[in-house]
Amino acid sequence: MATFKLDDQDIEFLPGDTILKAAHRAGVDIPHYCWHPGLSVAANCRMCLVELLPPPGRAALKLDVLRWDPEQKSYIKEQKPKLVPACQQSVGEGMQVLSQNSEHVQKARAAVQELLLLNHPVDCPICDQAGECRLQDYWLNHQHEKKRMRDEPVHKPKAVVFGPTIVYDAERCIVCTRCVRFCEEVAKDPVLSLRERGNQNEIVLAPGRQLDHDYTLMTELVCPVGALTAQDFRFKARVWFLRSARTVCVGCATGCNAYTDYDPRNQQVYRHRPRENPTVNGYWMCDAGMLDYQRIHHHRILKALVDGKSASRSSALDRAVALLSGTPSGKIAGVLGAEYSQRDNAALLWLGKQLGIEAWFESGRPDGKADDILMHADKNPNSAGVRRLLGSEPRPSSELVQGLEAGSFELVLALGSSLKSKEGDGPAPIPGKRIVLSRHPGPLTEGAQVVLPACSWVEAAGSYVNAQGVEQSSEAAIEPLGDSAAPFELVGALCAALGHPPPEPPKGRGHRREASAPVNDSGNQGASAS
Amino acid sequence: MEPLDLDLDASEIELENEPMLLNIGPAHPATHGTVRLVVELSGEVIQRCDVQIGYLHRGFEKMCERGNWTQVFPYVDRCNYVSPMLNNVGFALACEKMLGIVVPPRCQYYRMILGELARIADHLTAAGAMAMELGAFTPFLWMMKVREMIWDVFEEETGARLTHSFGRVGGMARPPTESFVEQVGQVVPHAIQVLGEAERLLVTNRIFLDRLQGVGVMSAEDAISLGWTGPTLRASGVPYDVRKAHPYLRYGEVDFDVPVGEHGDCYDRFMVRIEEIRQSARIIEQCLGLIPADGPVNVDDPRVVLPDKQDVYTTIEGTIQHFKIVMEGIKIPAGEAYSYTEGGNGELGFYLVSDGSGTPYRVRIRPPSFYVTSGLEKLVTGAMMADVVPCFGSLNMIGGECDH
Repeated sequence: MATFKLDDQDIEFLPGDTILKAAHRAGVDIPHYCWHPGLSVAANCRMCLVELLPPPGRAALKLDVLRWDPEQKSYIKEQKPKLVPACQQSVGEGMQVLSQNSEHVQKARAAVQELLLLNHPVDCPICDQAGECRLQDYWLNHQHEKKRMRDEPVHKPKAVVFGPTIVYDAERCIVCTRCVRFCEEVAKDPVLSLRERGNQNEIVLAPGRQLDHDYTLMTELVCPVGALTAQDFRFKARVWFLRSARTVCVGCATGCNAYTDYDPRNQQVYRHRPRENPTVNGYWMCDAGMLDYQRIHHHRILKALVDGKSASRSSALDRAVALLSGTPSGKIAGVLGAEYSQRDNAALLWLGKQLGIEAWFESGRPDGKADDILMHADKNPNSAGVRRLLGSEPRPSSELVQGLEAGSFELVLALGSSLKSKEGDGPAPIPGKRIVLSRHPGPLTEGAQVVLPACSWVEAAGSYVNAQGVEQSSEAAIEPLGDSAAPFELVGALCAALGHPPPEPPKGRGHRREASAPVNDSGNQGASAS
Repeated sequence: MEPLDLDLDASEIELENEPMLLNIGPAHPATHGTVRLVVELSGEVIQRCDVQIGYLHRGFEKMCERGNWTQVFPYVDRCNYVSPMLNNVGFALACEKMLGIVVPPRCQYYRMILGELARIADHLTAAGAMAMELGAFTPFLWMMKVREMIWDVFEEETGARLTHSFGRVGGMARPPTESFVEQVGQVVPHAIQVLGEAERLLVTNRIFLDRLQGVGVMSAEDAISLGWTGPTLRASGVPYDVRKAHPYLRYGEVDFDVPVGEHGDCYDRFMVRIEEIRQSARIIEQCLGLIPADGPVNVDDPRVVLPDKQDVYTTIEGTIQHFKIVMEGIKIPAGEAYSYTEGGNGELGFYLVSDGSGTPYRVRIRPPSFYVTSGLEKLVTGAMMADVVPCFGSLNMIGGECDH
């Protein structure tokens, strides 16, 4: 592979690469605000300026400058090399680039940083971005001197509501236009633009519009400073107290890679944001997926139920065992959960085999909105996994209801809260006796004889097969809430109580509970790493 | 009472002939600091002695790996709580060595004066407590009176009498107070005067001399092989003082002598400490003349030193600087370093490993008392039971430094 020289380091590049892109791929940091690997090049922040050494035998391009000499008390004529933005300059073989090693580059970066902070308000204590803010990081790394301006800073609109999800603060904004470019290029809805120039420059909405497309929260994540803040996360948590688990979004069958940010002290999830994966989701996630974490804490079943009343897990298991052993195997119907991980479904399938269950159905959420960016119509993360485990299509839900009414089934052993259907919550009410493992209440748990509380996807590690057929593993973040437990554990307890061998853990993808990294330590931070 | 059977032959009496095991401590009046000595006595002669530390264990080194570098200062205060300022300065110098920064001259002299005051307080405590345990209560009270005066200076400067937490990477928590030079100038001569009076009471006392001289002799070779440093090593005749051998701060510029002993017995260890107090007073006198009246105390490096509070509240740069140092800690570059200073009991070393984050990766302390205490067994084996008290007192074991 062809290489160029950045400071003292040889860096490989692909044809068409810019300096910044090649360095970013090689893991070498050139400071930048406006450049994002998933967006077009704007080259407006000037933070990534580098010095380009001229080819051998050619003179460097120089600019005349005046330098103030405090000793002589006058300006002195000098020359300095013309610096180029690394995000825009394409790389050639053997090119020599100076970044850290150039005094001119250091000066230029300090000047850029001083200018960016010139009118910046003293907002860090009340800003959600504090702790993961580029302005903070780069000030210490590249300037660390006080600004020289003595004037009152320019004041601009604060806390402008851009839409149902985003609030904009023009004073904090450095006008890098990442959000503008994101709306235009990725979300295909150019609802943001710029007005005015210089000091007065700010981001505005298109007249008569709100920032209300399906990817609005991404504008907050691409924002390198605290100008755009999410209504959902605003004033909720401090990022340095959060830890990140590498998870998979369970909002739809796309299976976007995500970080789940949680506070280990109160076991609360605060944020769900994309994790870079070029083959699945690139750098992005949709609003629905990023807000999907709210289901972890809302409307959960946290205690076992027997005949609709709270009960201990052991009494619920006793009741389930009595129901299962009192029903002939041909009269039991199994329901796998398209919202649940491969391990959970495999465990239930194993128990079904021991009991001799042959009729398998599927639970899950109904179809929803789809687009050609990321959103998939199937709102379940593991429909493909269920099919892979069964080796065939599950039977249609209507057949189960008919079978229960006709008496060909007497008992349902289900994982999930509602039978899957194209629209709505699926058939309800469901007749017949039921043993249900579920996180949330739904038609299946309504009137069920036994309900066992299942934990959510961030409370146990697992893997999910997305619509492309890729099996992706997801780490555990918090401990199971209330009395809930991972479905495979509940099934294991049922197996033990029935005297069957325990289900085998599936081979392959990681099911370990891995130590998760602090928010700032994660090497690939999706939006903010770039 | 029954009459003795005088006809009995002496060889027929069966006396207990197994050695007697005796526990001293961990809470015994003569073991200041929690340490336990298990001695095996034959009559009054100690045949074996097992010195057991570990009754004061907080896991100092592990605790340091939790917070940021600045948050280590309160911990080092509690390593040698008799001279915490010396530990503060020692740790600050270790961090500064890794950062490659040197504090301004005013801070260097300030650290030296405070450090030597702490050394005087440390030696006064050691010598006074040793005399008290041998029955001389008055000199102890006189020495404590002087220590109180020194602690008043510390209270004035740092706000705390004992655990100051006053050191900072790149400087000190606050500059010297206006009355600092004057107050120290008054306290030190007074301390030396009282010390002379207390010393006369002791070194002209036959009992005191008899209990110290020739007791607990440690040869120079053995002292070195045990890793002894500080006053105990110098009492054995080895003139090793970090301040002279490897000068740090401005110790190379001041004039002082390193007292050494001749016999390496308890008396020499006592006298070396008394003489070192006088040398510390000399150093302080010179530093009081050299310390600049004004000028910066902290280095001018925003990566390390907190900005003025006024700036934090009014400028974004100050806010960012404050936020970065407080929330993420000082980013000491990745690497490792050993830095050593002369503590109250000898060479106080810090071996630091940094991974470049704001949190120490590893803090290894070389506490002088740990090595000195390991020599106690050798000192008392073969000695009389009563010799344990002067031997132990002359080592000045600090429990907090034996946190291993």
